[in-house]
Amino acid sequence: MTTTSRAAVLSLIASTLTLSLPAYAHHSFPAEYDASKPVMLTGKVTKVEWTNPHIFIYIDVADAKTGAVANWALELGGPNSLLRLGWKRDSLKAGDVVIVEGSLARTVPNLANAKTIVMAETGKRMLAGSSGPATSEGQR
Amino acid sequence: MPFVSPYRRTSSSLRARLRYLPLVALAVLGAVLGSRPAAAQWVGYPTAGVPRTADGKVDMAAPAPRMPDGKPDFSGIWSTADRSRATEAGDVASDGNDVSSSRYMANFGAEMPGGLPYQPWLVPIVKERTANLAIDDPHIRCLPDNFLRAYGLPHMLKFIHKPDILAVLDEMNAGYRQVFTDGRPLPDAPAPAWQGYSSAKWSGDTLVIDTIGLRDDTWIDWNGSVLTESAKVREEMRRPDFGHLEIKVTVNDPKAYTKPWTVMLRQRIVVDAELIDEVCLENEQFAQHTQGIRQLPKEPAPAQ
Repeated sequence: MTTTSRAAVLSLIASTLTLSLPAYAHHSFPAEYDASKPVMLTGKVTKVEWTNPHIFIYIDVADAKTGAVANWALELGGPNSLLRLGWKRDSLKAGDVVIVEGSLARTVPNLANAKTIVMAETGKRMLAGSSGPATSEGQR
Repeated sequence: MPFVSPYRRTSSSLRARLRYLPLVALAVLGAVLGSRPAAAQWVGYPTAGVPRTADGKVDMAAPAPRMPDGKPDFSGIWSTADRSRATEAGDVASDGNDVSSSRYMANFGAEMPGGLPYQPWLVPIVKERTANLAIDDPHIRCLPDNFLRAYGLPHMLKFIHKPDILAVLDEMNAGYRQVFTDGRPLPDAPAPAWQGYSSAKWSGDTLVIDTIGLRDDTWIDWNGSVLTESAKVREEMRRPDFGHLEIKVTVNDPKAYTKPWTVMLRQRIVVDAELIDEVCLENEQFAQHTQGIRQLPKEPAPAQ
């Protein structure tokens, strides 16, 4: 896999429905992630942890220049939020290639909070149900 | 006594009818399955008894249901109506997919002139907790949320209301709260509990709930405002119509606050949805991911 160009991803996302992101929050987003550092990653899913309070998926991402592969951890919303968004337990499986848009962790390398996930094969876009950065008082 | 098949005593006409029983059963099963969508975890499973308008929407203004004793029935799944996001829809029932957080989730005193009336010892603690982005929040450590906080978090609450009890199930950490309406007095010198001890009486169509016996330093918002063991909480709860609950909350906690304070909380009905586990300890990684930010935890300052 290679890092996907921003233009290609935006084009893909633009072709899908725009949905509002629900506000599922377990923890303080800004303490863990930096909303000012967006990231887009393309990679093959190596593991899915369908767990509370948040689902984690792991993907192998190759550096576009060096080809070096790094395994990234991506935090999603919890199972109940994703189920209510239409996800199924097997919506993501090891081996799936995904394009992920999210925010980088503040201190932990190769960790990000996923906002949307696009299935590379079909173009299907799924909200990741993550907790989000502050949008107004009371929202974290 | 030897086993005797009941079929040996069945008349021939009945046997003939029974021959078609499997076909009838299949037809009934097919009709039942065909009339309801298959739903994982009952997501989208239709809630019974929901009044609807001519266009099929939930009639939020329909009369509140009542229990056999004539008192309002608060049963249902509820989520905050004090929503914080400007993009959200207006006064409509939730389908479970737009459950939001309350604008009081960060600060219970957000709309009080001067904010919550903290005792002096609590002021620097709340200031620190606010500044460090709630990194010590018990909620993040997977500890239970008390009932005040649960009203504003984006997790569903299911009320099961009977004449002698109002039971509240919280999908977060599989929590529960019991509000007794059987006339029992509040306990003397209760051992502190996460939800305290609640007893209630009706005043007309308003359920007046008194709660004592909460644990010390249980957070009620992201900023780290607390209730302490000295807290007496009164909720005046009413269901003005099918779609809403109104809860007037008065907190009298002289250990944490210089004077009693009151806030009005509102909930809206959630239909065609069900509670789904959110047991936080399964795989909580926040503390691990934030180790580099600051060493945890830090004990709160003792109350004066």
